[in-house]
Amino acid sequence: MGKTIIEKIIGGHAGKEVSAGDRVWANIDLAVIRDFGGPNVVLEFDEATNKGKVWDPGKIAITFDYQAPAKVAKVAENQRICRDFAIRQGIENLFEVNCGVGQHTLLEHGMILPGSIVVGTDSHMNLLGAVGCYATGMGTTDIAAAFAAGRLWFRVPPSVKVIFEGGFTYPATAKDLTLEFVRVMGADGSLFRSVEFEGDMIDNLPLSGRLTLASMVTETSGEISFFPLSGEIAAFLEKRSGRKIEPVISDPGAVYEKEIVINIEGLRPKIACPHTPDNVKDVREVEGVEVDEVFIGSCTNGSFEDLKAAAEVMKGKKVHPRVRTIVTPATSEVALKALKDGLYEIFMEAGAMVTNPGCALCTIGHPGILGEREVAVSTGNRNFIGKIGKGAEVYLASPVTAALTAIEGKITDPARVLSKV
Amino acid sequence: MPVRGFVHKYGDNINTDVIYPGRYLNIFDPEEMAKHAMEDLDADFLKKVKKGDFVVAGRNFGCGSSREQAATSLHVAGIAGIIAESFARIFYRNSINQGLPIIIAKGVTEKVNDGDEIEVDFETGKIKDITGGVEIQGTPLPPFVLQIVQNGGLIPHLKKTLSGS
Repeated sequence: MGKTIIEKIIGGHAGKEVSAGDRVWANIDLAVIRDFGGPNVVLEFDEATNKGKVWDPGKIAITFDYQAPAKVAKVAENQRICRDFAIRQGIENLFEVNCGVGQHTLLEHGMILPGSIVVGTDSHMNLLGAVGCYATGMGTTDIAAAFAAGRLWFRVPPSVKVIFEGGFTYPATAKDLTLEFVRVMGADGSLFRSVEFEGDMIDNLPLSGRLTLASMVTETSGEISFFPLSGEIAAFLEKRSGRKIEPVISDPGAVYEKEIVINIEGLRPKIACPHTPDNVKDVREVEGVEVDEVFIGSCTNGSFEDLKAAAEVMKGKKVHPRVRTIVTPATSEVALKALKDGLYEIFMEAGAMVTNPGCALCTIGHPGILGEREVAVSTGNRNFIGKIGKGAEVYLASPVTAALTAIEGKITDPARVLSKV
Repeated sequence: MPVRGFVHKYGDNINTDVIYPGRYLNIFDPEEMAKHAMEDLDADFLKKVKKGDFVVAGRNFGCGSSREQAATSLHVAGIAGIIAESFARIFYRNSINQGLPIIIAKGVTEKVNDGDEIEVDFETGKIKDITGGVEIQGTPLPPFVLQIVQNGGLIPHLKKTLSGS
């Protein structure tokens, strides 16, 4: 019988053929911890193994992206626990507080390959599905167990095919496509499903756009998503990893639970309104809402292309005096490229501030928290109550919509104002 | 073996930010974690909950972040099990790995009311609502997973199975 991508990956790591619904133990290629969750993993691992050795120090990575560098003593201590653990265990893949968002950093360092299984203490690990890796967020106990045993139990997710029909042009972006996907699916529309994306727009989506869409599969409760690997992305992975890249593709006759067709012809800019990511409307429906803060960054929209899209909107303009505008590159590599390409100048001359790389406001690890009744437009992935400030209202939108909103001081539809020359 | 307790009932898509707010993510002590269970969803939860009670919820319980504190805080606060229309993917694993049993039971939110006394058999998936006089057949955890729960969670399970083999 033909196999889906996820069945092939899990089966390959379980040493036997598997089908959706099976429960199997499978080997792990990389287990990742970060500065939140990570210290709990270390303590649990030490307690369970009586300070034993990890299964393979070369298959463990530590990233500091939550509160990097630490601002409170507790986090400083947590990061120290992780650093000490790395030294004690001989873990060389420790990415310090300057590096930025863990998943993006691992990708840049060639540690993520199609067909591999990566687990980590971050619910947006699955954005690495963008390059064909089965990456999944887990709790601390799972990761502690992976550190000890090098394998974990998996339920093999059923697969769903999502086909995007039609196409759209600027100023609609990959984030708008993503928000449309979240709207159609709803908060649990891909519950524990492996989503395989198809369509002309998907084929042409660059890595940054795939990362955006793959990250928010989480907001539809999906387990992972996959894309047909493009030549450009395969070349990038090959260059970064120094390895030959073999894409994993589904077999003819693979079994899909269902096929969902989403029409994106002429897609308009979208926005997720408070307080759930699936509360998605056209931006034009909420135009005029006054905004106190704009955040451009996160694992969803912190890539260079995202910053560039925001900078193109802000170039030569000033942000509204009421709007605190915070730009956070996902990684130091992104930051450096943004600096060299003059993006920092554009942002700073516009009155926006650029922070150091990391998860920043998204995890409220770093500054920018909102006061009561304040309104923010964020390019992040969640707008739950209390997520970035008690009593605040958060809208999720594209870097283009966010940048335009920062200038206008109120939510503004780029489709009305902007068009690509 | 069936166990009895009272129901604390909540809606659909209850996310981990309201089960266990992000501002307490740096806490390690499970007893401390338990003091913040459901803080942003139901401020009276800790006053109401007794050891052995159950949470009954709608679709996609525990969606959102990977924080295991969501499962741990409920478990240590006294919750003996969670019955929901469906569970979010990470919460499902976390509760099992913590030794907190769960049952997926379609229709449970229609038939069971807040405050009802129920009797739950995690091995068969049968839920008896003593107060309402109705029975619901849920989907029990498969033996593979139930064994992890019965061993007290993933770490005790691995210790037992690794040393046993």
